[in-house]
Amino acid sequence: MKFKLEKRDFKPFLQSLIDGYDLYAPVHLAEGVPVYRKMGRPDEVDLSLLNPQKSLKEVFFPQDEVMFRYEKVDQETQMVSTEEVKRERVVLGARPCDIEAISIIEEVFSGREYTDIYFLNKRKATMIIGMACHQPLPTCFCSSTGGGPFVRKGSDLFLIDLGEAYLVEILTEKGEAFKKNKFFKKTSAKNLQLAKELEEKASKKTDSTIPVKGIDQKLDQWVESPFWDRVHEKCISCRVCTYLCPTCHCFDIMDEALNEKGQRVRNWDSCLSEFYTLETSGHNPRATCRERTRQRLMHKFNYFPKVFDRIACVGCGRCILYCPVNFDIREVIKEINAK
Amino acid sequence: MMEKSWEPKILAFLCNWCSYAGADLAGTSRIQYPSNIRVIRVPCSGRINPLFILKALQSGVDGVLVSGCHPGDCHYLSGNYIGRRKSATLKCFLEFLGIEGGRVQFSWVSAAEGVKFSRVVQEVTEEVKKLGPLKKFKKSSWFGVQSSEKENE
Amino acid sequence: MIQQKLREIAKELLMKKEVDLIIGFGEGTLPLRATPIFVRDPEEAERIIWNSFCENNLATYLHKFDRFKVGLIVKGCDARSVVALNLEKRFKNNPPFLIGVPCQRMVDRRKVKKAVKGEILKVLEEDDRIIVEGEGFQVILKRDDFLYPSCQVCTHRTPVQANVLVDQPVEELPLVESHPDMDQFESKSLEERWKFFENEASRCIRCYACREACPMCYCRECFVDSSRPKWIEKGLSPSDLTFYHMVRAYHQSGRCSGCGSCERACPMEIRLNYLTQKLNRDAKELFGFEVGINPDGPPPLSTFETEDKQDFIK
Repeated sequence: MKFKLEKRDFKPFLQSLIDGYDLYAPVHLAEGVPVYRKMGRPDEVDLSLLNPQKSLKEVFFPQDEVMFRYEKVDQETQMVSTEEVKRERVVLGARPCDIEAISIIEEVFSGREYTDIYFLNKRKATMIIGMACHQPLPTCFCSSTGGGPFVRKGSDLFLIDLGEAYLVEILTEKGEAFKKNKFFKKTSAKNLQLAKELEEKASKKTDSTIPVKGIDQKLDQWVESPFWDRVHEKCISCRVCTYLCPTCHCFDIMDEALNEKGQRVRNWDSCLSEFYTLETSGHNPRATCRERTRQRLMHKFNYFPKVFDRIACVGCGRCILYCPVNFDIREVIKEINAK
Repeated sequence: MMEKSWEPKILAFLCNWCSYAGADLAGTSRIQYPSNIRVIRVPCSGRINPLFILKALQSGVDGVLVSGCHPGDCHYLSGNYIGRRKSATLKCFLEFLGIEGGRVQFSWVSAAEGVKFSRVVQEVTEEVKKLGPLKKFKKSSWFGVQSSEKENE
Repeated sequence: MIQQKLREIAKELLMKKEVDLIIGFGEGTLPLRATPIFVRDPEEAERIIWNSFCENNLATYLHKFDRFKVGLIVKGCDARSVVALNLEKRFKNNPPFLIGVPCQRMVDRRKVKKAVKGEILKVLEEDDRIIVEGEGFQVILKRDDFLYPSCQVCTHRTPVQANVLVDQPVEELPLVESHPDMDQFESKSLEERWKFFENEASRCIRCYACREACPMCYCRECFVDSSRPKWIEKGLSPSDLTFYHMVRAYHQSGRCSGCGSCERACPMEIRLNYLTQKLNRDAKELFGFEVGINPDGPPPLSTFETEDKQDFIK
């Protein structure tokens, strides 16, 4: 089902979402720094911004999240769960790369033995309004990883910016709740034609040449390769790539407490941090940057595919854009492929 | 019902050899000083890690006092000199950032200066009282002072 | 030309085996970027470049490569960082061989990106101009208008210490007593200053890019990693974010060379340089110490004068 949403109806449409749901969309935090936030007012939303540094994952997997609270009253310990999602949520303006990444995280968090109730509850209660990516950057290589700027997979509704209006595609059962939305008008053949042209134009812009096909098999032989002795050199072991990566999902659990009250919190963590694998004995299996860089790249392109049959990279290019030392994962992939 | 006016909470780091003894002397001499201060005894004013001061402010105190031996009298010879440099740097920096200078104060109080100690505490309490409760930088959480839950949505 | 000279020196040092590796800059994979490279063979020296995008402080790699004899290409600020590290006795056996480049000041890539409309595909430098080419546009910018804030106020562009200088020392800015930007900031009210700082810190995602990019942050266990005592949590509580930046800056007192790497590394574009600028100014005013200029030290917070300022002490 396809509809047209006029730009002049956009703010009222947003207001209707804010009234009925918790709406998450990109806002301006500072010039050049958009983030996903819960909306209070329609005019905060800005869909023209570049893909936020902090990806969509923080809407489902917050950087710091309380897992439960407790309070000791007399001899009893009362626990307060934080698992429940109180209100249905809508995410607006998510790009196909980030949406694909959520499904990658979901593979892990809806695992065979353990499920992550915090992530899953949020995921179940969220409707995703995806947005077509009109201006892929030179660093975008989603089409190499099996995605693309107009890929609809994972979206319940999909928006394409036609200039004067948005083309709205209803794609799932969840999205059908909007079938009768008063702001959705009939489309014209011209709308559909324009959408098609925009899709062709954008798809040509992303980099389809990054050779990730078959990389997982190639890396099978590479764990002890001297390749890793040079790759890590410029990496400074900060956490920018992992925190901005839409698929990275490591976390650290800590307890915060004072006297009778406390809470258990989980925070994002990064395998690139020196202490990530530090054991109580003092031994650290990944003591140097070489092991850590190897781990990160092998995890994305070998270990994860072995378990889940897909690579853990969506080609969003954030790690390339924001790395302080211009470590470029595309160069590494090309080098692996060339050998 | 009479409303109890707000009283500031002040944390005082006193060096064991001079200032703490001076405070003790004030006590034994029955010299009154405001009960707003809570004392932590440290071996030397040079031991004060600026993180102590910041953590104290974050945890809910409204002012911090660090007191040590007079220059030249340090039990460890030069601890208070080093502490003096750290204090100067920290105080300038905090003021620059926007935390009132009056909240982080320093003094030299010797073991014989019970009267001075009481005066210093009096002054610091008055100055911090004038500044009001510290609202900025304080860590808020559902259970008081330790950590916060950040609902970033 | 500086680039050619760097390649020649690097090649010579490697051939004579005077160093195990040269750490310099190579061509980046994005416009407006150069990237650190690690050259071990004399033939590889051809990869070394020099331009206005060589923004990283390469001294931060000295900790990672401390087992090797390193030839380090340094700008003015980087050289001062090496002097500061030397003062802290970081080079027991392997002092680096410093290849000094009098710095032409580095270009702020974010400022350039924000000044043009559209995606940048290629950037060229020509004398005092930056030619920015993108999709369907070409813009010519005046280089001097697009320098990093830390570079604009730099008074030590020529490395203060270097084993070899690849060019003539440049004319430095006069050593002014005050920085106009800093003065303007300090003239704001207390509340405004706090609001600015808190607002900047609120964007922080605790990625520690600032910490890792800084050559002076080399503690095995940083205060944020400490669990006994636990100074701050690992999450995004606003109070903790300000705490982290306050303390990281404070730990640079008397040590920071003002290279600006912290600010350049930050993915959320947080203003950080002004914090250390203030501390550096205080170190100079209170203790007469300036990083790199007093190579024999001692570090200001590890020593004292009997006549140190104490008018703030009751």
